[in-house]
Amino acid sequence: MKPKALVLDGYGLNCGYETAYSLKLAGAEAKRVHINELIWGKEKLEDYHILVLIGGFSWGDDHGAGVLEACKLKFNMGNQIRKFIEDEKLIMGICNGFQALVNSGLLPGIKNYNTREIALISNDMGNFRDDWVHLRVRKSLCIFTKGIKGIDLPIRHGEGKFYAEESVIRKLFENNQIVLQYAKGDKLANGEFPYNPNGSLEDIAGITDPTGRIFGLMPHPEAFNSFTNHPNWTREKEVLKRSGKPIPEEGDGIKIFRNAVRYVEENLL
Amino acid sequence: MGVRADIQVSLKPELRDPEGEKIKRKVKEYFGMTLRDVRVIEVKTVVSKLKKEELEEARKKIFTNPVTQISSLGDLTKSFKWDYAIWIGYRPGVMDPAGHTAVEAIEDMLKIKFDENESVYTSKIYLIDGKIKKVDGDRIARELLANDIIQRWKVLSKREWKNFEIPMPKVILNYKPTVTTFSIKSDEELLKLSKERNMALNPKDIPTIRKYFLRPDIQKERAKYGLSDPTDIELEYIAQGRSDHCNHNTFNGKFYYKDLLTGETATVFNLFKECIKEPTLRLKEKKNWILSVLWDNAGIAKFDDKYNYSISAETHNSPSNIEAYGGAITGNVGEYRDKLGAGKGSKVFLGLYGFGVGPRDYNGNLKPKLHPRRLLDGVIEGIRDGGNKSGVPTVFGNVFFHPGYIGKCNIFVGSAGIMPAEINGKPTYEKKINDGDLCIMVGGRVGKDGIHGVTAASEEYSEHTPAGHVQIGFPYGQKKMEGLILEARDKDLINFITDNGGGGLSSSVGESCRYCGKKGGVEVELEKVPTKYPGLHPWEIWISESQERMTLAVSPDKIDEFMKLAKKHDVEATVIGTYRDTGKIHVKYNGKTIMYVDLSLLESDFPQWEFEAEWIPPELRLKEPVMDEPENYNNVLEDILSRPNICSKEWVARQYDHEVQGGSVIKPLVGVGRDVHSDAIVVKPVLESKKGFGVTQVVNPWFSEIDTYWMTANIIDEAVRRLVAVGGNLEHIGGIDNFCWPNIQYDPKNNPDGMYKAAQLVRSNWALRKYCEEFGIPLLSGKDSMYIDGNIKGKYGETQKVSGPPTLQFTANTVIEDVSKCVTMDAKMPGDLVYVLGDTKDELGGSEYYDMFNYVGLNIPKVDVKEFLPMYRTLQKAIESEIIASAHAVSRGGLGVHLAEVAFAGNLGMKIYLSKVPTNLKRNDKILFSESAGRFIVTIDPKHRREFESMFKGFKFNQIGEVIKDRFIVYGLNGEEIINRPYDELKKAYKKTFGDLI
Repeated sequence: MKPKALVLDGYGLNCGYETAYSLKLAGAEAKRVHINELIWGKEKLEDYHILVLIGGFSWGDDHGAGVLEACKLKFNMGNQIRKFIEDEKLIMGICNGFQALVNSGLLPGIKNYNTREIALISNDMGNFRDDWVHLRVRKSLCIFTKGIKGIDLPIRHGEGKFYAEESVIRKLFENNQIVLQYAKGDKLANGEFPYNPNGSLEDIAGITDPTGRIFGLMPHPEAFNSFTNHPNWTREKEVLKRSGKPIPEEGDGIKIFRNAVRYVEENLL
Repeated sequence: MGVRADIQVSLKPELRDPEGEKIKRKVKEYFGMTLRDVRVIEVKTVVSKLKKEELEEARKKIFTNPVTQISSLGDLTKSFKWDYAIWIGYRPGVMDPAGHTAVEAIEDMLKIKFDENESVYTSKIYLIDGKIKKVDGDRIARELLANDIIQRWKVLSKREWKNFEIPMPKVILNYKPTVTTFSIKSDEELLKLSKERNMALNPKDIPTIRKYFLRPDIQKERAKYGLSDPTDIELEYIAQGRSDHCNHNTFNGKFYYKDLLTGETATVFNLFKECIKEPTLRLKEKKNWILSVLWDNAGIAKFDDKYNYSISAETHNSPSNIEAYGGAITGNVGEYRDKLGAGKGSKVFLGLYGFGVGPRDYNGNLKPKLHPRRLLDGVIEGIRDGGNKSGVPTVFGNVFFHPGYIGKCNIFVGSAGIMPAEINGKPTYEKKINDGDLCIMVGGRVGKDGIHGVTAASEEYSEHTPAGHVQIGFPYGQKKMEGLILEARDKDLINFITDNGGGGLSSSVGESCRYCGKKGGVEVELEKVPTKYPGLHPWEIWISESQERMTLAVSPDKIDEFMKLAKKHDVEATVIGTYRDTGKIHVKYNGKTIMYVDLSLLESDFPQWEFEAEWIPPELRLKEPVMDEPENYNNVLEDILSRPNICSKEWVARQYDHEVQGGSVIKPLVGVGRDVHSDAIVVKPVLESKKGFGVTQVVNPWFSEIDTYWMTANIIDEAVRRLVAVGGNLEHIGGIDNFCWPNIQYDPKNNPDGMYKAAQLVRSNWALRKYCEEFGIPLLSGKDSMYIDGNIKGKYGETQKVSGPPTLQFTANTVIEDVSKCVTMDAKMPGDLVYVLGDTKDELGGSEYYDMFNYVGLNIPKVDVKEFLPMYRTLQKAIESEIIASAHAVSRGGLGVHLAEVAFAGNLGMKIYLSKVPTNLKRNDKILFSESAGRFIVTIDPKHRREFESMFKGFKFNQIGEVIKDRFIVYGLNGEEIINRPYDELKKAYKKTFGDLI
C-alpha cells in the first residue's frame, strides 16, 4: 500500500494539480478532493495519511488570506482534523494553506490547536511578488525537512510577512519550531529585500508544530518539481555538462514531499 | 427588511500599514503632497436579521485576526490620529466580491441562508494624517483611490464624520419590466426609434431588417405567437449580432486601394477572407496539427497524442480607458472563459498581457480621463488580480509607450488552455447540440452590467440606479465555475459550451443554437434566468454582459448528475431553455412569446461595408536624417538602455504569479539576477510530459509611421526568431493577430486621413497574409479593435482628436519536443564565443536610435523569408543538438542594446569587434543600432566552434567577439575602443528608469 495524500481543493484554491503531481513523484497516492466532498462525508479524512492545504486564493483572499478557509475548516471539520492529528498523521500547508493553518490555530500549536498566535500579513514591500528565494533549514523536529540543509524555492504571495509577538517568536525558537528562514547565500537574509521578500520577522518562512508533523511554509515546493523549474537551470546545465556531470531531472522541492511519504511508510503503514 | 450594522476592522495602530504606506508613496509621486500617515479601515456593512450576539460572533470569529487587527461594531477612527477621512464604496450594482464571500462565511458559521433583502456591502475608510485641504482629499480620492465609474466617495473632516452614515449601494429599480414594439413604417422612423433607445442599429442595416419583418410569411408566423412589429429584444438581438464588435464589418469590408505615387489600384473584396481565413485554411490542409480554427471561442491545435491546446487573444481597450482596473480584469478573466468555452472546455495554463499607453511621465496639455501613469497602474493591477486569483500563470507581456495612446490605450489579454484530446472516444475540439438538449446558464447572476449607456429615459434614473457599462470582475466566482466545468467535461456531461461575454445571452445562446441539429434553434424561458435584483426588462436580461457566466448544452438524461456537480462546486446553474432544431430563436417571458426570429436573419443580405484606401508611400512623406556619428558611445548606450521602450519592466512581471501550475521552464525574466526580459517563455502544460509550450508577443507601432506593410512583416519575423531563440520548433508555429487601429472611415471633418489609415490596414493585412504563409504560420485566432481614437480636452478648453498609431500585436506559439534542450538568452561563461547570425543593413528607419534624436527616418527593415528561414532551421537544429549556450533575437535597439543585454543578463562582460560583424555598413552607430530583421546573437562553448561553424556554412554569420568577466568593451570599425563599461553599470542603466516601482 502506498501512503495516501489528500489534496484539499475548491473555493478558489489553485495549486491542486502540481501538488498532487509532486506527491505522486515522491511515491504517494494523491487525490484532489473538493472541500465539500470532505464536509459532506463523501470522502473521509481518516482514509488518508497526509493532508495538504494547497496554495491559491481561497475565497479570493477576501477578509485576509486564508481566513475564510480557516473558518470553513473550523466550522465544519474541526473534529475530523483533531482526530487526524491524534493519529499522528501529517498536515502540510503551502502558502494559502499555511495562512489557513495559522488562522485556524493549527499552527503554531504551542498550547493547543485552536489559538491564533501568529499572522501572515501584507508584504512590507506592499504588493504581490513572484520570485525565487534561498532558504536555510534550521534543525527541528520537522518531518518534512529531514536531511535538507538549504533549498531554493519560489515564493508567490502578497501576504507572507510572518508576524507574532516577541514572546511567541521566542517560544518558537526555544521549541525548535522554526524550520525555514530566508537566506542570502550562506547567511540569513536579516530582513534584507529581496532575499527576505516580505519583511518576515526573523526571516521566518516556515514553521512546524511542536510534534514536527504539522508544517506550514510560504514558498512553493510543488513548483520545484523538475530541474527545469529552477530559474538558473540553463546555466546550471552548462556547468554540469562542461564538467561531464549528469543533469538531474527532479526538482529539489520533491525532497520535502518524499520525507512525508517516508514517514508514513515507516510509521503508519 | 434587515437591520444594518457596520463592522469596522483595521490593523492594530502599533503595526505599520503597508496599504496606507503605498498610498502615501503614490500621493507623493502623483501629486507631490507629503502626508504623515495613511491608515486603512475596512468596513463590512451587514444588513440582516442577525442578533447582536451573532454579529459579534461573526466579527470576532470571521473578520478579526486577534494577532494583528482591532475591530468594532462602533467607530474605530478614534484609535488613530487623522485630519480627513475618505470613505470609498461601490456604486449600486457593481460587483462586490468581498461582500459575496462575507455572506458565504456568515452563512457557513451560523448554518443559515441570507434572504434577498439581506446582504453585506464592503467599503473602505482612508484616514489621512497630514496638512491637506478638503480639495486635496477630493483629488486623492478622484485621481488615485477611486474611480467614479464604479465607486463613490466622501471626504470628511472630523466634525463631518460624526454625522456621517455610510451609504449602502442597494439596487432598487423603480420600474416594471416591459416589452416594447417598434414601428417599421419607414426606415427613418425605425432609425429614429433605435437612436432614442441607444440601440446602435447600423443605419445601413435598417432596410434589410424592415424587409424581413414586412415579409408576409414572417408576419403570418409571428401572428401565431401574438407578435407583429419587432420587439425591443428582437432589435437588440439584431443590433448585437450586427455590431462591428461581433460581426467584424470592417474586416469583412471591401476596400478600394490606390497608391498615390504610382497610381496603381487594387480591390480587396473581403479583407478577412482574403488575408486571414483563406491562407489559414490552406495551411490547415498541409499541417495536421491544426485542428479547429475560425469558428470557436479559441483556435485549437494538437499538443501531443493525448492533449490539445487552445489559444486566443483579444483587446479590452475602451473599458480599460475609462476604468483601468475593471477593464483589464474583466478582459483578462473573459479571455480565460474563452478557453473554458473552447471545444468541450480547456483548462487555462497561461495568460498573456500587453499594455500600450501614453508616456508614463506625460506632462503635456491634453487631459485624458486617466493619466497614463494611473491608467497603467490600474491595468497592471487588473491583470494581477485576474491572473493570480484564477491560478493562471501570467507569463509574458509587453509594456510600451507612445504618445498616440493618450487618446485610447491598447490593452491586450491572451491565454492558452489544455484539454484531453478525447473524452469517451470523442474528440474534444468538436461539439454539437442535439434537439432537446437543455440550455443551461452557469455562474454569476444577471444585472444591468454592460448594457449600452443605460436606458436614456431619465425617469428611470435614481440614487439606486446601477452603474452600467464597466464591471470589476470576480475571478473567485469564475474559479469555482472552472472546477465545475472541467469535472463535467471529464464526465462527458457537456455537449456544447460557450462563453457569455460581449452580447450576453443574446450572443451565447444565439450563436450556440446554430449548432443544434441541422437547422439550429432554441426556446428560452427568460424569466428563469437568475438576476442580481428584481425589475430588469427582458431585453436587458437578454443582452446583459454580467461577467463570469457560461452557456452550456446538456442532454436531459445527464442533467441530474450535472446539477449535483454544480452543487458540489457551489456554483449556480439554471436550465433556461431547450435547444430545438427548428431554425428559430424563440424567447418567452412568463409564458408569452417576446421574440421569434429566423436564425438565418443575421445571415441575410446585409450590405457590405466599403472603404476608400489611399496609400501615400513613405518616400513622399519621410527622409533619412542628416546626422553624423556620435563621439560618446558609452553615453549613447546607457541612454538607449534606459529608454522606456527598451528598459526593464521587471516591476510588472514580478507582480504576476508566473509559476503556478508548476510547469515553468523559461521564465519572463532570466539570467543570473533573474532581471532581464526573455525572448519568449516556455511552460509544461502537462507535467508528466517532456513537451513544452513556448509563446511570445511582438508589437512595433513605431514602424507603422513608415509603412505598416513592413511593420507587419517585421513583427512576424521577430516573433518567429524569439521562439527559435528559446528552442522553438519551426514546424509548429501558430499565430494570433490583434489589430488595434484608428478609425478608417473617411470623414472630411472628423477623420480627414481616414483613407490613408484604411490603406495602412490593407497593407498590414497583405503582409500578414504573405509572411504567415511563407513562415507556415496559421492564424489560430485573432481580433480587431477599430477605434483607437480619443477626443480629449486641451489646455484652453478645446477638444482635440488623438488617433493611436496603427498597432498589430502578433502572438506566436510553438510546441517543443523536449524542454530540457531549451536555452535562455544570457551569456553563460567567460571565454564563450559570441556570434552574430544574419546581415546588418542600413535599416534604421523607425528605430529606437533615430527616435532618441526625434527622427523617424525612411529605411525600414525588410524581411526575406526565403533568405532567413533556412538559417533559422539551422539554429533550431543547433539548439536541439545542445551546442548553443545562449541565443537571443536581435530586435528593438539593435546589436548595441542586445549584446549588452546578453552580457549583463549573465552578469558578465564582452569584447566585441564591430569590424567582424557581417555587414556592409561603414558606420559604427549604424552597425550598433540598425534594426535589421533576421538576426540572432548566439554564444557557444569554444569546444563546439568547429561543429557550429560547419553547420552555418553558407549563411551570413561571424564570430564577433567573446564573453569576458566584467567589462563590456566594443571596438569600432577602425579598431578603436568606442565602448568600455562595467556590465553592472549597463545593467543599472537598463533597470533604473522604473527601478523604484513596485
